[in-house]
Amino acid sequence: MPKRNMSSSTLEPDMTPMIDIVFQLLTFFMVVINFENTKADERVKLPKDVLAKPPESKPKEELTLNFGFLRGSSGDKLDPVPKLFHSGGEYVVEKFKPLLEEEKRVAIARYGKDALTDMTITIRADFEVPTGKVQELIKICQEVGYSKFSLKAIQEEVVQSE
Amino acid sequence: MARRASGPSKVEIPMTPMIDIVFQLLIFFMLQLKILAPEGNFNVNMPIGAPAPPKPDEIKTPDIKVRMVADAAGNLAQLSIGSRNLGNDDQAFDRLNGAILGIIGRPGNPLTKDVEVEIDADYELHYQYTIRAVSSCTGRMDMQTKRLARYVEKIKFAQPRKPKGA
Repeated sequence: MPKRNMSSSTLEPDMTPMIDIVFQLLTFFMVVINFENTKADERVKLPKDVLAKPPESKPKEELTLNFGFLRGSSGDKLDPVPKLFHSGGEYVVEKFKPLLEEEKRVAIARYGKDALTDMTITIRADFEVPTGKVQELIKICQEVGYSKFSLKAIQEEVVQSE
Repeated sequence: MARRASGPSKVEIPMTPMIDIVFQLLIFFMLQLKILAPEGNFNVNMPIGAPAPPKPDEIKTPDIKVRMVADAAGNLAQLSIGSRNLGNDDQAFDRLNGAILGIIGRPGNPLTKDVEVEIDADYELHYQYTIRAVSSCTGRMDMQTKRLARYVEKIKFAQPRKPKGA
């Protein structure tokens, strides 16, 4: 029986299938990832509705305001007063006007004087926030000069009844 | 002509740095990924200042007033359209949807562009009920086509009410 000469050969695993799979995974995650949703705060539990469909055309300029409660790991409210989660801070509605003024200055500097008329305020409010608080927020935005508003909700699946 | 005895030598591209970078990119995108339910918008019509007076030749359609009363816990105690009480159960919003359809006649009617709904909710009412009212006034989902049959395009909020006990 001939003896196989294995002394000098080094084992080189075939990397091609692994690289193929890794590239496919990479492509998948790159396609699926949505940087738009980085504006959404996970602490806000949006209300659900069947008519809440993603818009066909995006607003020209958009300022997203997340309005919800500080919640524990089990979902319980830690504070009964709803807060606006903005730029890493938490603010009550009554003290939010200076931040909106700052946003207005930035928008005008970036997009020109028509920035406020083109800007849509997208309100992502928690399903348990009192409606009066949302109306107060809209009123403050109006006082600053914003006039277009959009309310967010999670799309609920349609259950077809027999 | 002399032929070269040895063939072309095998060039080995170092794969390790590329694999390192690819793995780092993969981990970055995996950590960035958030599985979120799709979100939709409801536009509300809230112009600044008093509404413009109607032109003399323009026939102004009266606003539809939707009133929502809350109990102490912020749940819906009563839903009404005009002076008609629609109750406070799950079907109340279906009744509101039907009442709006009764006013506009049929979806796509030119009236849908003119009619305006004013939502007047108690301060304490949970926002989810307000969204359901906005949705019921906006239209309904056609089960066959899975498309929106639009009822009313203009929806606005009334002046905010004072909190109870304030």
